[in-house]
Amino acid sequence: MLNDLLHFVMTHANDIIVALEEHILLSLAAILIAAVIAIPLAITLMNYRRAGEVVLQIAGIIQTIPSLAVLGVLIPFVGIGTFPAIIALVLYAIMPIFQNTYAGLTQIDANLLEAAEAFGFSKYFKLFKIQLPLAMPLILSGLRIATVMIIGTATLAALIGGGGLGSFIMIGIQTNDNAQLLLGAILSAVLALAFSWLIKIIGKLSLKKMGILVGVAIILLGGYFTGKALTQPKGRIAIAGKLGGEPEILINMYKELIESDNAGLDVQLKPDFGGTTFIYKAIKSGDVDIYPEFTGTVLQNLIKGQTVSHQPEQAYLDARAALHEQADLEYLAPMRYQNTYALAVRQSDAKKYHLKTTSDLTKMSSQLTAGFDHDFYELKDSYPGMKKAYGLQFKDVKSMSSSLRYNALANGQIDVTDAYTTDPQLKADKLVTLVDDKKYFPPFQGAPLVRGDILKKYPSVKKSLERLNNKITNQDMINMNYQVTVQHKAADKVAHLYLKKHNLLK
Amino acid sequence: MIVFEDVVKMYQNKQVVNHLNLTIASGEFFVLVGPSGSGKTTILKMINRLTQQTHGKILIDNKDIASASTVVLRQHIGYVLQNIALFPNLTISQNAGILLEANGVKREKRQQLVKALLHKVGMPYEQYGSRMPSELSGGEQQRVGIVRALITKPEIILMDEPFSALDPLSRKQLQDLILSLYEEFKPTIVFVTHDMQEALRLGSKIGVLVNGELQQVGKPQTIINQPANALVSSLFNNQRITLIKDLLEAGLGQKITADMSIEAPHLKSTQTLQELAAELYSQDSVIIDQQYIINQRHLLMYISKY
Repeated sequence: MLNDLLHFVMTHANDIIVALEEHILLSLAAILIAAVIAIPLAITLMNYRRAGEVVLQIAGIIQTIPSLAVLGVLIPFVGIGTFPAIIALVLYAIMPIFQNTYAGLTQIDANLLEAAEAFGFSKYFKLFKIQLPLAMPLILSGLRIATVMIIGTATLAALIGGGGLGSFIMIGIQTNDNAQLLLGAILSAVLALAFSWLIKIIGKLSLKKMGILVGVAIILLGGYFTGKALTQPKGRIAIAGKLGGEPEILINMYKELIESDNAGLDVQLKPDFGGTTFIYKAIKSGDVDIYPEFTGTVLQNLIKGQTVSHQPEQAYLDARAALHEQADLEYLAPMRYQNTYALAVRQSDAKKYHLKTTSDLTKMSSQLTAGFDHDFYELKDSYPGMKKAYGLQFKDVKSMSSSLRYNALANGQIDVTDAYTTDPQLKADKLVTLVDDKKYFPPFQGAPLVRGDILKKYPSVKKSLERLNNKITNQDMINMNYQVTVQHKAADKVAHLYLKKHNLLK
Repeated sequence: MIVFEDVVKMYQNKQVVNHLNLTIASGEFFVLVGPSGSGKTTILKMINRLTQQTHGKILIDNKDIASASTVVLRQHIGYVLQNIALFPNLTISQNAGILLEANGVKREKRQQLVKALLHKVGMPYEQYGSRMPSELSGGEQQRVGIVRALITKPEIILMDEPFSALDPLSRKQLQDLILSLYEEFKPTIVFVTHDMQEALRLGSKIGVLVNGELQQVGKPQTIINQPANALVSSLFNNQRITLIKDLLEAGLGQKITADMSIEAPHLKSTQTLQELAAELYSQDSVIIDQQYIINQRHLLMYISKY
């Protein structure tokens, strides 16, 4: 594990620095904006107790909304990426900062306020000389609470293309890569500590210096973000991919194919762009123009009330028609491989017992021990249904953590497990998946999903992307996934090699 | 000069100040004395408009205080609180100079004035200046409170039971201090207390307040010797603390002339007869305020007469 971690750090130093930088900037911007909203608001409301209480209630309610829901609600209004991530974080940070500032200001000894009043201090003198300094310890603790919370919550920004350390955590969870997961978690924790420490230091400065520091930070951050917005080429075509190595390989292929056909067309990539819901919202709102999606996912998650055909061709046609109807999205011709559920066994066993299909396995299942991921073990449309469909009768079936099952299989503790058919671990652990010959699972075939208006504007994009039609076998995909997620090779190089080898470039 | 013209203060339909007519002359040390709940603090706080009267007018130097802004008004009125209320986030010297800072006085000038006045109240700047209020005793804190109020040389200083929370020894020391500062700067002081002894000791004039009604205004001696009514006399009955100055005012004692040269202990006219007696027990005579000489015979004569 530690070796994995070190290896990842060595091979991805650059990515880590970029993610850290994104995370810091995101958090810093959110805290500053929240402070600039919450502290003056508390100052304004300290003499209007009723209004203050109302704001406290509202902020408290916002606090209880799950952050994912906030992000989801925001996307239709402000799109995706850094901007909505900052808005969501600001919404969360306002509450602790406001609450503490308000408490700090309203709990000042009435005698001191009477003295300040009796001395004829101006409102500003009283505020800056007496009230704010006396409330400062509470204000700072509010800022610290908000900071720690923001740095934790900012990991969710990865879901909507906001980047940051969350990318490692999300990919780690998705690809079962504990090294990445750990890295993301450790760095977030370290960052939270560092920020907390920094606020403590800043708290020792005079109000004037604090003001100057905050002012400078706001100007620098504002400059950074506007600069970024201005210099970032408005990509004519934005191609995004969900979190993980496989989508990244695919979108690099898309880019190269489009660019080789259309000299001068500007293609921008947005890898690790979060989960299905977010990326689908993004393509509908126009933040993203193209992304690769599976037929099964379209039918199960994106189209409401659709029965899923277990014939790949029919599934694709259904998905294409529904997407065209529902969202003016064009679903171009699919690739060959399927990334679906299957049962996996050791290569040696497959050879020994001549196992090719799940039906082959059924015959001798009574001699084998299976170990399944908890979800796969329990969900009706997974193992329980499959067992019935094939008549599987294992000697023993264990429910285990998904991160352990490949190892358990490779070590011989179990003989069968559930797998995704393009998992690079299949190659790493010398495993094979068995063909779902009764087509129990819905087909998950990858194909490019493109906005209708993009195809009208650049009709040749269709031709470029459909060059991948019926290309890339399961084994190809496993190999490429292996190179990117296990060997940590660059996705664009892996993509380029494949295209070249198969003469797909002009 | 502070003038109250038919001032009434109601709190929730209860009259706490009843048609007050009072004139406090400039340079007077005016003590407003009365039992708790008599309305004395309310009257004090109406002068700097921390409290608004329900009816009537208050004039300072013939100008209605309602006509000026509270900020301007309060900048000319010092204020010393019962609970001292030094700002806990500021050092002693910052506290002492905060009114100067609020008025935009430059740092060097501020420091200079603070240094001088802190020294005067027995709290040398070098020793106390950078300490925090919480590190000081109550008596020390209130010295700073007095410096804070005096630093801008206001014409009027309001003091709201400033010594009542202190131990007897500190109280006495601070009474002496405020008297000497009063002698030096001659501001108009309005001093609120429920302590009759303190009133007699400090006031050049005393107003006696009971149940929101002013019973009598007069010099300490007059209040004691000619109480306006039974209420006043009962209040001061147990408080017959006679001061050396009562003896002098009765015409006893001998004025010191230039040709006399006397070696004797010194006392102040504001000290009590008891203190004088203690001194005269072992001495033939005592010098008072460096102006009078009093001997045992004078004391005995006073006691026999009054």
